[in-house]
Amino acid sequence: MVGNKTLLEVKGLKTYFPLDEGLVRAVDGADFEIQQGRTLGVVGESGCGKSVTAQSILRIVPPPGDILEGELLFHRYSKEGDAFSMADVIDLAKLDPRGREIRTIRGNEIAMVFQEPMTSLSPVHTMGNQITEAILLHQETSKAEAREKALDILHRVGMPKPSQTIDSYPFELSGGMRQRGMIAMALSCHPSLLIADEPTTALDVTTEAQILDLMRQLQEDLGMAIMFITHDLGVIAEMAETAVVMYLGKVVERADVDTLYYDARHPYTQALLRSIPRITEDRRKWLEAIRGMVPDPYNLPSGCPFHPRCRSAQGECREVEPPWVEVEPDHWARCILYADSTTATAQG
Amino acid sequence: MPEQKNQRLLEVNDLKKYFPIKRGLLKRTVGHVKAVDGVSLYVNEGETLGLVGESGCGKTTSGRCILRAIEPTDGEILFNDPDTGWVNLRELEQEDLIRVRQHMQIIFQDPYSSLNPRMTLLQLVGEPLVINHGIRGKALEDRVAELLKSVGLRPEYLRRYPHAFSGGQRQRIGVARALALNPRFIVCDEPVSALDVSVQAQILNLLRELQENLDLTYLFVAHDLSVVRHIADRVAVMYVGKLVEMGETDEIYPGPRHPYTEALMTAVPRPDPRASKDRIVLEGEVADPANPPSGCYFHPRCRYAEPICAAEPPVLREITEGHFVSCHRAEELSLIGVA
Repeated sequence: MVGNKTLLEVKGLKTYFPLDEGLVRAVDGADFEIQQGRTLGVVGESGCGKSVTAQSILRIVPPPGDILEGELLFHRYSKEGDAFSMADVIDLAKLDPRGREIRTIRGNEIAMVFQEPMTSLSPVHTMGNQITEAILLHQETSKAEAREKALDILHRVGMPKPSQTIDSYPFELSGGMRQRGMIAMALSCHPSLLIADEPTTALDVTTEAQILDLMRQLQEDLGMAIMFITHDLGVIAEMAETAVVMYLGKVVERADVDTLYYDARHPYTQALLRSIPRITEDRRKWLEAIRGMVPDPYNLPSGCPFHPRCRSAQGECREVEPPWVEVEPDHWARCILYADSTTATAQG
Repeated sequence: MPEQKNQRLLEVNDLKKYFPIKRGLLKRTVGHVKAVDGVSLYVNEGETLGLVGESGCGKTTSGRCILRAIEPTDGEILFNDPDTGWVNLRELEQEDLIRVRQHMQIIFQDPYSSLNPRMTLLQLVGEPLVINHGIRGKALEDRVAELLKSVGLRPEYLRRYPHAFSGGQRQRIGVARALALNPRFIVCDEPVSALDVSVQAQILNLLRELQENLDLTYLFVAHDLSVVRHIADRVAVMYVGKLVEMGETDEIYPGPRHPYTEALMTAVPRPDPRASKDRIVLEGEVADPANPPSGCYFHPRCRYAEPICAAEPPVLREITEGHFVSCHRAEELSLIGVA
């Protein structure tokens, strides 16, 4: 089932928020692809634009934010026997965010799981009602059938005693159970792409391990692609095949996960990997901290936004927008260090 | 007090904190949430003890009870006061408590809600000095400026308000305030969990630097096991209000002796795609501290459980020197850790 078929192509995405305090370039140049049935990791610190990228794909960017530039090419395949053939390509960026077409895609072909299961579930509806709502909206079924489907999906996500929890309200469930409920809701219409925005950040480690295991299992069974957004480099290493690193609205590096962790080229990725404490590491080593802090979004540095904190910064970095360079086949970095050659060597 | 304690700074024996559950019109107590249920631990002078566990396990409550920031229900909190020697904090009158607590401070988790937005840095950091030593005017400004410098903030910031600072800088303000009275012992309650990855390392390095320079002792309460591995000399693991394991960090991480510690350590996602994916995924949920299971609280989720585990609660015992475990089968099990 899993082939090397492109499901979503994001090209030059720019999503800006014109606010009274100034223009916030929340996403300012994001390029990546998601393959069918695979997992793409999106990693970055708060304010890097990873969540707004997800909101742009689903066209749920809160006003006054809007997509200014770029293409979001969503490939739809129709299933013929065991083989897939491409049916059509839609540019999500061109759709009316309130129109019919995006509404048939949103929650149906592309679904989302949010970070805070407590705030993103309705407190006044039962789990069952919230799941059947999605099914009734997108599929032509009776209420009884929808409830059957909801029970089935709750069972699949490993919800304990689904026939009871289906009539529970979110506040009656634990954090892990609520997140299972969220995933059940997202998967109720068998989407081809699941966007998971920090789905395990609010959970404890042992619950996180359960949810990560579950997501891997469901991907194997249902074959959906996952866009996994997180700030946790450990989670990306476990879940994703390829990953993009974002900093201040820009994708600064993109590679398969092994290359990214063992042969990172962008100074930000390198610094990030060096600065995190590791559970396997010798105690009492000094951490190599990144100097300074993430700048204010209204007042971004000129040139490369990372230059004030970068160890390898040169004079030019202050003025020149760094180019997006393919440093190795399928390994891209946005840095002036690689502007001239496409086979530059790693900086360690 | 016994002599062998001369290297110890703090010793906690059988600490308990029960919160009553009140129901009905008359608000009668119908039960208790046993948030901390018989915790015994010690902290040696100059070291960092990491106190880890999942949310609701009682680690934060333990930290606060030790300072008597919340009143413990029962237990002994022995502190080696530099002025008077060993004291039991639980028996102290308010006046003595205030004096002893000059040596014991706390750094909070959330640098956004733990700083009063209407106070300047001078007021925030200087408040403990005004209250305890009555320092005012120029002397106060000098001391606060010095404190700000020691945590990597510019002394010119004295008259600014916390809103002008980023999360990392605010946490530095919190650290400066905790240092104001030259404490011996600091409870660090999740001091980096609200910070961005790239800023965490700065604060962890700062805490270590201060420890070396000022000879501080930390109780480091955290849920992030990678951070604790990095900062703590010894680690204590809690589960549903009880201590399940305590010992040297370098011993426990590669070789845990309690099944819960094993699950906790191996569950942490590792930032290395080539790392071993061997892990113990626990079934079920953390037990309810208002209605815990019989015997060992962990037995319903434990893959090694035997009938005795449901029948008898295990006691914390020293299985090798300095390594304490509360498990009936600690000696016979061979568990995996993180090397």
